[in-house]
Amino acid sequence: MKVVTRVLVLLLFTASSLMAAENTGRYERLGSKIMCTCGCGQMLLQCNHIGCPNSATMIRQLHEQVDATAATNDDDAVLNFFRTQWGVTTVVEPNRHGFELIAWILPFAGLGLGMFLVVVVVYRWHGSPAAAAGEAEIKLDPHLQALRERARKETEI
Amino acid sequence: MPLLGDFCLLFALALAAYSFAAGILGFIRKDEVGFRVAETARRAGIASFFVITGAALVLVWAALNNDFSIAYILQHSNRALPTPYKLAALWSGQEGSLLFWAWLLAGYGFVLRVRHKVDKRLVATSSMVLAGIQVFFLLLVNFEANPFGIMSRVAADGNGLNPLLQYPEMVIHPPMLYLGYVGFSVPFAFALSALMMRYPGEKWIHITRRWTMVTWLFLTCGIALGAHWAYAVLGWGGYWGWDPVENASLLPWLSGTAFLHSVMMQEKRGMMKVWNVWLIFVTFMLSILGTLLTRSGIVQSVHAFAESAIGPWFYAFLMIIFVVCVAAFIKNRKHLQSENKLESLVSRESSFLFNNLVLLAACFAVLSGTLFPILSEWVRGYKITVGAPFFNKVMLPIGLFLIFLTAVGPLLAWRNTSLGSLKKNFAIPAIFSVLVAIALIPLGVKPWLDVAHLYSWLTFVLSALVITSIASEFIRGGRVLKDKLNTNLFGGMYHLTRRNMRRYGGYIVHFGVILACIGIAGQAFNQSKEQEMAQGDKLQIGAYTLVGQEYTEDDNANYQSQAGLLDVYKNGKYLTRLNPERRQYKASNQGTTIVADYSTLKEDLYVIYEGNNPDTGHPIIKAFINPLVNWLWIGVLTVVLGTGMALIPNAAQLKSPVKLTATAAVESAGGGASMRPAGARK
Repeated sequence: MKVVTRVLVLLLFTASSLMAAENTGRYERLGSKIMCTCGCGQMLLQCNHIGCPNSATMIRQLHEQVDATAATNDDDAVLNFFRTQWGVTTVVEPNRHGFELIAWILPFAGLGLGMFLVVVVVYRWHGSPAAAAGEAEIKLDPHLQALRERARKETEI
Repeated sequence: MPLLGDFCLLFALALAAYSFAAGILGFIRKDEVGFRVAETARRAGIASFFVITGAALVLVWAALNNDFSIAYILQHSNRALPTPYKLAALWSGQEGSLLFWAWLLAGYGFVLRVRHKVDKRLVATSSMVLAGIQVFFLLLVNFEANPFGIMSRVAADGNGLNPLLQYPEMVIHPPMLYLGYVGFSVPFAFALSALMMRYPGEKWIHITRRWTMVTWLFLTCGIALGAHWAYAVLGWGGYWGWDPVENASLLPWLSGTAFLHSVMMQEKRGMMKVWNVWLIFVTFMLSILGTLLTRSGIVQSVHAFAESAIGPWFYAFLMIIFVVCVAAFIKNRKHLQSENKLESLVSRESSFLFNNLVLLAACFAVLSGTLFPILSEWVRGYKITVGAPFFNKVMLPIGLFLIFLTAVGPLLAWRNTSLGSLKKNFAIPAIFSVLVAIALIPLGVKPWLDVAHLYSWLTFVLSALVITSIASEFIRGGRVLKDKLNTNLFGGMYHLTRRNMRRYGGYIVHFGVILACIGIAGQAFNQSKEQEMAQGDKLQIGAYTLVGQEYTEDDNANYQSQAGLLDVYKNGKYLTRLNPERRQYKASNQGTTIVADYSTLKEDLYVIYEGNNPDTGHPIIKAFINPLVNWLWIGVLTVVLGTGMALIPNAAQLKSPVKLTATAAVESAGGGASMRPAGARK
């Protein structure tokens, strides 16, 4: 079991450390964060409208911006360019600073808080006299006992 | 006819209002008079179903007969529209869909009220809650979104149905979704009633278990059909865009899934009573929020209807529901005390708790991302857009954690799991998933390439863990029965499943979800290529070569179309002929793509006709290779199969049903509610 755990940890570690390696698809990645502004509601690189008034210009600008920032790989600069040029709603990913950072924090803060509460509750219960005394079934009427017995059977062999 | 429709709506409102008011009286007065009044409320509720059915039929009749004197029919139908889509006009616009909501709710209420003998008191109070919800929707369709509004001048033809909705799946998708949304009203009504009546035990859960599962199944099918429709019709090569309206359907699904898991804890161990009651309250409120998001236009969406005045109605309704739920909870919370406590973090109970937590965290993440633009507008004065890249980044880690719990949960024992038992149960699944992790690398899944590859790789590995743990559960149980019944392993597994349909049906559902996850993980390897293709031109994508053979144009009463005939070769060998099409609908002057898809278990070759280049006149073809998409649809079908299995009674249960004795009648702690066995009369 220990060997399996170590192998898993090692694999995860290797994968994570290599995660930040060079990404060849910067243009595609940034293009999938920018929305076409013609009103089609699609991502810039997915807009399939013939004669779309905006996508050709936006794609050209994306190429230019990706080339201009190739040395620094500054994705934020490219996205901010589009926010300025085409409006803040063009970029479909919130900023990672200022007020918009809250959007990124909220989901994980919720999960973390929930985890913490569960662990606290379990430990509190664990130490309570009822748990220590083992099964402390409240006396139920026979009908409910029968239903609960059926539930036990239905959820386990 | 519009007058008849209006009359039906008003009459239905009167009946629902009576059912609600008389239900309250019956709830307050617990004597014989109260019981009789509650009975009249039940009958009024049943009658309201027939009257609302009348209103819905009037609207359908108007659509079928091109009655363009009705504004709704003018806006959502036209003469050339094929008959099935005319039927779909009932739910294709705001007013009609709200009428449809009210009708489905009345339908659920009808079934509930007819089957009242299961528990007359509890059903009477639940019927009152349902009548209250019915009153809201009937007020809405009578006074704010009336589908029978009359035009001052009758037009010769209508504006037609949105062309994106003119697709067979679109005839089924909205009803499925609505059956899901509306269906959660029933367990909500039972939970609220049981709380208000301080009803003893878990009987409300036993009564609503099948309702909840069927509702969840409808919602699952609705979401899947919507995804499949998006894939087949929208022509962008994907099936889920994290659009606010898509998210709206996912929210009650996630909380409903959490509820389906956590009720087992209450049924089995008398735990998590507060949690369960609030889960179903939240699920119902999310269903209402979903309808609000879909219908009010408060968030930017490709699906949302024009901004309308129904928003304040829904805000008020949500507020009322919340206040009622909180008040009922505060007044009766002592009734919800747990009978048992968690004894260990490494136990089946805690895995249920974590599973619930992660599902709710996923729900919260989707909700916060969906509503963040509104928050941004309040705080900063402008709406930002929160789209797919955000949701993918946030939801993928949460989803992976959930898959991990799906693997681990069933292998843990109730109360406490010993280290020995952990080793025994986990050894084979862990070894198998490590082997899969290694085997994937030479197959082209390289987790070091980028985050998408890493997530896909992790999904495949964790999926292997889940599948092995499910298989080991079947095999372990099958072996025991094989020896007992003197049959082979498959016979043993069959009998095992028949004896415990709920549990093993649940495993099949998990298996289906994992197949769907594998399908989703395939997205990391998508490829696409766009090219102008004259006759004889070739487009090369992956191992496929597309050759333009012929391009045609067509014109009928409903639309004009351009289509291409493309021969497909794989590694030089002829495979098939594809026929992508682009349509321009006349009534609405909107264009749609009809996707041509060559689908295998390994990948889809997905081809769209984007239109003609205005300069050269040549067709532009876009081709995608989408790996493993079929696994998603097969996964959904497996989920449907598993849920269906879980709904079937056990073989042993069929032979020896739980005996209900007359002594089962108990008085509640304070509400005076009596619980009588099925069929017993006062």
